[in-house]
Amino acid sequence: MKNDLKKQYLFHTKEGRRNLLLSLAAILIGVLFLFPIYWMLQISFKSDMETFGKVLTFFPHQFTIDPWMANLGDKNFLESLRNSFINGFLTMVLTVLFGIPAAYGMGRYKLKGYQAFLLIFLVAQMLPASLMLTPMYLTFNKMHLLGTFFAPPIAIAAGSVPFAVVTLRPYFKSVPVALDEAARIDGCSSLKSFFLVMIPAVKTGIITIITISFLNGWNDLMYTMTFNVKPEMRPLTANIHKFQSKYGTKWNCIMAYGAILVLPVIIMFIFLQKYIVGGMTAGAVKE
Amino acid sequence: MAAIAKQKTRGKKNRRENEGYAFILPGIIYMILVVGYPIVYNFILSFKDTNVQNLAKGTSVFIGLQNYKELFSNPTFLLILKNTFIFTFGSLVFQFTIGYLLALFFYKRFTLAGPIRGLMLIPYMMPMAVTGLLGQNLFLQDGLINEILSWFGVGALPWLTSTATAMVAVVIMNCWVGIPFNMLLLISGLSNVPDDVYEASAIDGASKIQQFFRITFPLMKDAILAVLMLGFIYTFRAFDLMFIMTAGGPLNSTDVLGTYSYMLSFTQYQFSKGSAVAIVLFLCLMVIGILYLILIVKGEKDE
Repeated sequence: MKNDLKKQYLFHTKEGRRNLLLSLAAILIGVLFLFPIYWMLQISFKSDMETFGKVLTFFPHQFTIDPWMANLGDKNFLESLRNSFINGFLTMVLTVLFGIPAAYGMGRYKLKGYQAFLLIFLVAQMLPASLMLTPMYLTFNKMHLLGTFFAPPIAIAAGSVPFAVVTLRPYFKSVPVALDEAARIDGCSSLKSFFLVMIPAVKTGIITIITISFLNGWNDLMYTMTFNVKPEMRPLTANIHKFQSKYGTKWNCIMAYGAILVLPVIIMFIFLQKYIVGGMTAGAVKE
Repeated sequence: MAAIAKQKTRGKKNRRENEGYAFILPGIIYMILVVGYPIVYNFILSFKDTNVQNLAKGTSVFIGLQNYKELFSNPTFLLILKNTFIFTFGSLVFQFTIGYLLALFFYKRFTLAGPIRGLMLIPYMMPMAVTGLLGQNLFLQDGLINEILSWFGVGALPWLTSTATAMVAVVIMNCWVGIPFNMLLLISGLSNVPDDVYEASAIDGASKIQQFFRITFPLMKDAILAVLMLGFIYTFRAFDLMFIMTAGGPLNSTDVLGTYSYMLSFTQYQFSKGSAVAIVLFLCLMVIGILYLILIVKGEKDE
């Protein structure tokens, strides 16, 4: 096995050449596929003159960070950016609070009505936001929750709590029973064993849940736009049209706006790739 | 003696079961309040005539199936229903085919397979609203897509400003998001096909193509079904992409049930009409959703 690995990197061997060719092909596919993201970034570093120029250029001939500064120097933009973080954070808190204990209960206990509970979470995961939007708006209106930071995360977590349950349940299931029992023999209560033994044992899954639920809040458009009636409470996603009418056809500024919205996603990907990838597979198909 | 011991374990078992309920209860209550209640409320709303005027006064009344009758005799709604299916099936065909081909490629073992496959998920994880914004730019009259077409001698297309091409542009952007999702799930489907089946068939003299159609494809049947059904569920409820990229236009040509329901409820403030459209969306989804649940439950039992 070790020998095989070595052979991969020796280009004069058959395995080495295969590895090199496949890797080059993969780079080509990756570059083509991700080209739109490069396109957005390169426009965001162009000057106004080049943006309005007649010729379409594939990289900024006069590199400038002005479009980024136009956004980052705008009080309204920074406000929206802060709101995006608040929305992501509150969604994450609700998901952790309600999702992780439920996943633990579903994964570790033999429950009567287990199938019914599972069905509730699976169905909830499939539901379109459009279905909840109008009734929730009317309910939140009555409860005076519209225009608060809490309204959108409560609705978004309706999707990410079931995601957490479905994704984490197999993680909890796979923790050896011996570990749990040892803790109980040592005099741990169920609650103590949950926090001190089980949670650390499924750390990987929990990082997945934290990351993806934050992104669910960060990415949301429909709920924030509807429930946060005041523009100064809206996150970046919900204020896109507002900024677009401000920038007009200044695509360099618009693309910088988009790039800043994507940046946290890219950063999370670079550091937490394996957690996100694993979680997406587990949460979407049966394990 | 034995009976006492048995009783003791039963007591312990009951206690353990109760603990289990204590852990899932908050989650279940949350689901009932934030999912169950709105669904019921939405059904009720769709049988009433609630709008912004009578909402404050509380004078809305039940009008039975009136909203639904009006919808199904409204040509705009029928167009939007058709759009939703065209958008969904158009996206499914291309994102599945391309996603499958990429899955077959990235399933091979080589140094960069993992990292590049991972990076390709960025379009799936980034805000759909930004995808819509990017789509607006790519499909400009003097944008990148027309530039590339001109290299092949194809004249500039009006894309987002023409009812004939706007839907194509939206489907392309949606496929860009759906392809990595399909690829990822299909790779995990491929990895469930055991290697020794291939080895055995290779000894029997099966060609690569025969292997694909006789072994890989049939053994992945459940994974493929799951991906297609999930794809349907995620695509049919689309909203963000059209809302930002085309706002449903031009002339409703990219309007789908999600955007139409929103427009009725929150631009025209006809809450009951918006609810009725959401119910139609929900019922279409549930047809596929139930099939998907049957598949999942079957998988659970097989375990």
